[in-house]
Amino acid sequence: MVDVAIKNAAHGRDEAENRLRVLERFRRGDKFFFHLTRSAAFLVLVLLFAIVASLTYGAWPALSHFGFDFLISQSWNANTEQFGALATIYGTLVTSLIAMLIAVPVGIGIAIFLTELCPAVLRRPIGIAVELLAGIPSIIYGIWGFFVFAPVLQQTLQPFLISLFAPVPVLNALFAGPPYGLGILTAGLILAIMVLPFIASVSRDVFETVPAVMKEAAYGLGCTTWEVVRNVVIPHTRAGLVGGVMLALGRALGETMAVTFVIGNARQISASILQPGTTISATIALEYAEASEGLYRSSLVALGLILFVISFIVLAVARLMLARLNKQEA
Amino acid sequence: MSTGTNRQPASPAIPAGPLTEKVSVRNLKFYYGNNLALKSIDLPLYDRIVTAFIGPSGCGKSTLLRVLNRMYDLYPGQHAEGEVLIDGRNVLGPDQDVNALRAKVGMVFQKPTPFPMSIYDNIAFGVRLYEKLGKSEMDERVESSLRRAALWNEVKDKLNASGQSLSGGQQQRLCIARTVAVKPEVILFDEPCSALDPISTSKVEELIDELRADYTIAIVTHNMQQAARVSQFTAFMYLGELVEFAETAKIFTAPSDKRTQDYITGRFG
Repeated sequence: MVDVAIKNAAHGRDEAENRLRVLERFRRGDKFFFHLTRSAAFLVLVLLFAIVASLTYGAWPALSHFGFDFLISQSWNANTEQFGALATIYGTLVTSLIAMLIAVPVGIGIAIFLTELCPAVLRRPIGIAVELLAGIPSIIYGIWGFFVFAPVLQQTLQPFLISLFAPVPVLNALFAGPPYGLGILTAGLILAIMVLPFIASVSRDVFETVPAVMKEAAYGLGCTTWEVVRNVVIPHTRAGLVGGVMLALGRALGETMAVTFVIGNARQISASILQPGTTISATIALEYAEASEGLYRSSLVALGLILFVISFIVLAVARLMLARLNKQEA
Repeated sequence: MSTGTNRQPASPAIPAGPLTEKVSVRNLKFYYGNNLALKSIDLPLYDRIVTAFIGPSGCGKSTLLRVLNRMYDLYPGQHAEGEVLIDGRNVLGPDQDVNALRAKVGMVFQKPTPFPMSIYDNIAFGVRLYEKLGKSEMDERVESSLRRAALWNEVKDKLNASGQSLSGGQQQRLCIARTVAVKPEVILFDEPCSALDPISTSKVEELIDELRADYTIAIVTHNMQQAARVSQFTAFMYLGELVEFAETAKIFTAPSDKRTQDYITGRFG
């Protein structure tokens, strides 16, 4: 009896020790895993810091030489070493604005059609087409824009806009000729086509999260489809919509290749959006090879820093808007 | 002290005098694709009377409710045959304006569905679809609807708060207020209490009892005590058929069909 009791106790002790060892091993594993994932996360911070630091370092000669003038001057002359970013900033912002003005309503329209109105047989083909559009490399938009789209615009839309707005004050300056085909408007339209699938697919995904019973409740009061979308679906999903639009805006601001092809690359600001212009990314892409050193190179890096800041501001504004929307909700 | 065994609560009395048939379902068949879900239903809903639809899950009671306001129209592949007459007019016909029908036949759902807007706007939203009211008239309508739904005292100081910030029971009463606000003639309740706690449930039941004075009401419920408490007529459905339709008191005390008796005594379902 006593033997058995002792044996049992010993056995119990072994088991407890065993258990402790296993737990210890788990704990070490957990710790290792924690450090591993934490380093991965910190890597992002390090990369971000490194990029900001090298941008600032590279841009410093130009920024200290030109000062605030760099932001408000449009002159860009490599021979006289006079550099100002205003024309590129203007082109970047205006092309993105045009893109968003067109792509946001059309993209949300596509999403509304796909989720609320589309016959079931069409839903998949159109959905897949939207995703394919998102997958086209930007160089293809570039050559297509240059060889096909811009000449067509030159023949059709641009003469039409010029004659349409000719008698209207203010607007006639905005749409002043001659029609070159290439220019700010063309770049904006190409950008609109490029960001359209983002907006459409993000909007579709968030629209699909609206509970069916919520929509039925609105239909149950006698709402039409438009009223349901306007008053229930969009308010219910606005946080997601803002996110999708900002994602698209971020892409439009930074898009380089397609824009470089179709914007005309004139380093000046014209009142007319039919005239050529340039953007930050197009300027950098075109000139980095010849700008090997000195102020020229530093000015290009400074353009990059400005683009970075603009993107950061867009992101920050998006966060603020979301925070305010969420606060209203609560 | 009550003995507590299977005692059924008394259902509301049926008013004296002849009943008018507000809604008449005639030879109604309903299909989900090729699947026949309702097999030739004939059923009256009387004016200012609560009719309960009971039966096991999948028997077609919610489907029947969703035919009455043509909610099924939203989904391709679902269709109805036969007639649903409201005030003698077939609402299943192609010439029926579906939005107008749904304004006349309000619906309250299983889960509370406040819209993503303020409490005030949740009520005013439906009203604005069909009526142009001035500010003070709208205020009045919102207040009377919320009073009707026994919610006014709880929300009168926070009409601008989001409807989704209310508790589940309050949200459901908000949905009832919203339905009442558009002045429907018929109100359909699709298991309105299945997501609510007992206290909220009894509030909603009291509410249905009061609304009975002004509306034709149909309620789908899984809770047989609830059917017995709130309804004056009960329809028992089974496998897409209307097995028995009679006064609630009769259904629960002397059902004429064996299946009804089995169901209400808990032998299946």
